[in-house]
Amino acid sequence: MSYFDFFLLKGYIFSTDFNPFVDCKIMESTPVTYRIIDHTADLGIIVKGPDVEHLFVHAAQAMTDLMVRRHVSDNILTRDVSVQGEDFPDLMVKWLGEILYLFEGEGLIVNSIEIKSIGPIQLRATLTLSSLEPERHQILREIKAVTYHQISVNKANDGWEARVIFDI
Amino acid sequence: MGGKGYIRYLANRDVMDFEIKKIDDWRYLIPKTGAMRVPGLIFSSSELMPNIRGDQSLLQVVNVATLPGIVKHALAMPDIHWGYGFPIGGVAAFSLEDGIISPGGVGYDINCGTRLLTTSLFASEIRPKIKELVSALFRDIPAGVGSRGNIRLSKHEESKVAVKGASWAVQKGFGTEEDLERTEDYGVMKGADPAVVSDRAFKRGHDELGTLGSGNHFLEIQSVEEIYDQKIAGVFNLFEGQLTVLIHSGSRGFGHQICDDFLKEMGTQVRGLGFSLPDRQLACAYIKSGPGKRYLAGMACAANYAWANRQIIMHWTRETFEKALEIAPGDLKMELLYDVCHNIAKLETHVLGGKKVSLCVHRKGATRSLPPGHPDVPQRYREVGQPVLIPGDMGTCSYILAGSQKAMEETFGSTCHGAGRVLSRRQAIKAAKGRAINRELEDRGIFVQSRGRNTLKEEISEAYKDVSLVVEAVHMAGLAKKVAKLRPLGVIKG
Repeated sequence: MSYFDFFLLKGYIFSTDFNPFVDCKIMESTPVTYRIIDHTADLGIIVKGPDVEHLFVHAAQAMTDLMVRRHVSDNILTRDVSVQGEDFPDLMVKWLGEILYLFEGEGLIVNSIEIKSIGPIQLRATLTLSSLEPERHQILREIKAVTYHQISVNKANDGWEARVIFDI
Repeated sequence: MGGKGYIRYLANRDVMDFEIKKIDDWRYLIPKTGAMRVPGLIFSSSELMPNIRGDQSLLQVVNVATLPGIVKHALAMPDIHWGYGFPIGGVAAFSLEDGIISPGGVGYDINCGTRLLTTSLFASEIRPKIKELVSALFRDIPAGVGSRGNIRLSKHEESKVAVKGASWAVQKGFGTEEDLERTEDYGVMKGADPAVVSDRAFKRGHDELGTLGSGNHFLEIQSVEEIYDQKIAGVFNLFEGQLTVLIHSGSRGFGHQICDDFLKEMGTQVRGLGFSLPDRQLACAYIKSGPGKRYLAGMACAANYAWANRQIIMHWTRETFEKALEIAPGDLKMELLYDVCHNIAKLETHVLGGKKVSLCVHRKGATRSLPPGHPDVPQRYREVGQPVLIPGDMGTCSYILAGSQKAMEETFGSTCHGAGRVLSRRQAIKAAKGRAINRELEDRGIFVQSRGRNTLKEEISEAYKDVSLVVEAVHMAGLAKKVAKLRPLGVIKG
């Protein structure tokens, strides 16, 4: 089984193309729509998803795309994560904070995400991760933190939408 | 009173109106309205105000004015711009009795700051070697996204850094005792307690000591272009044409994680405190409370990490200069003028209504500006006031100022911290499209090396306010006194 098949079996796979100013597609039929929003000192994203599960996956993908140009790596590991929040906006900040910590603190890049369960106060997921290899992964931007500033996670007419601002 | 302005914002889906009254050429007042506990006071000028009105930073001043225990004014410096929660370029002081402390009022990069080195050389002497020098610095000082340093710290050793600050670095051979005397608070904040710092913060910080970081952080070789006050310049050991070096960095991932951890904790607890927040990023705790005290102890750890970081970067800078220029330390005389932080909350004594009171002063993108005679100003500068370092963007200039009594009276001893952004990074990249920024700078005699693909584009001069206008505004408002202007010759960036 190739790594590619492995990713597909796991659920979602992220695009390896980075272009922050156009919508991206993932290797499923579901389009990942996010766009960069301007903030004088920082950087934000507006992410969409057909349901709340996809929304959280797409947000993690968008943030990872901002930080690093991903490549399929030989160095794969999986990890279960559980994040608690007070509501969906709080959960989103903590979820993305988890992805950020894995990257900044442990040098791990998220390749794919399988959401096990999600509600306003808890998210459980299995992440497939690869180790950051400076010679293979181009780091694009340092994100210091995921902020609560103007955070929103809302149900829209055609799905779910979130707005997140990063401190960079 | 001069002309009035009126601002209407859409905030959290509610339309919010407030008035801006011009007090004089350099001060604007936002009168107390709605949930504001104190008025807002903006230091600015007619040239700078249109930009400030253009973003939501004034709304953030209004939001800060609603926080419990705030005294006198919610303040904004002329370099104010839209931050998250608190504006960048904001100052707010809170009563220790019933006031709050807010991680968002300090920022993620706790004790982000600058330090300036003077030398005995004229910049003209090293100009032929500038490229070589910049390349050597770029090689020797880790910079850029995800840069890892040459120092690996165990948790035990990192805890020592967190408690001792710059003196840890000096004890390890990075610099001298004299450097500590020329650092704000001797490079150490008391009350640091590593026990309140998460393992995640330790992990993020274990290999980042001695790294510049990315974004607007830099190391710049400069020349003193103009002296405005000969007497103070003499005390600061500055002369026209002098070679100087300015270092701008902070507490790296260690500080970011500490801020993040406490914001999350306080965000959960704040709902039980009996007041509502206009923005979740303003999460805070009463200073006297357990979480408030623990944040102060954690913030101090990050502040100390940042002072050690800048001390180490400075030491390597000295070594690189000595090697590249083949000059002995005694001849180069690369001395620290001062190190000053611009993202911090401090317990300080100020005079309010004729009485001395202890306050918690938040400076988020604001620099301390202590007047002549103040006991916290190093003895060697006490006669003229604390050195204030104001970096501009990489293509224009930076300034050295001296602290003033007026700042003590009006802004809790604070002034501006830099130019302040006007373009978002995305707008800046657009503006720089198709341009070779490094060549443009080289044509103007500034040699730049940067790690990141988009760093130079994001940091173009047009992305920032004119630092000269910002400095003029604080000088004219009396918040600090202009001493010297510095012109960049070489820059390394992340």
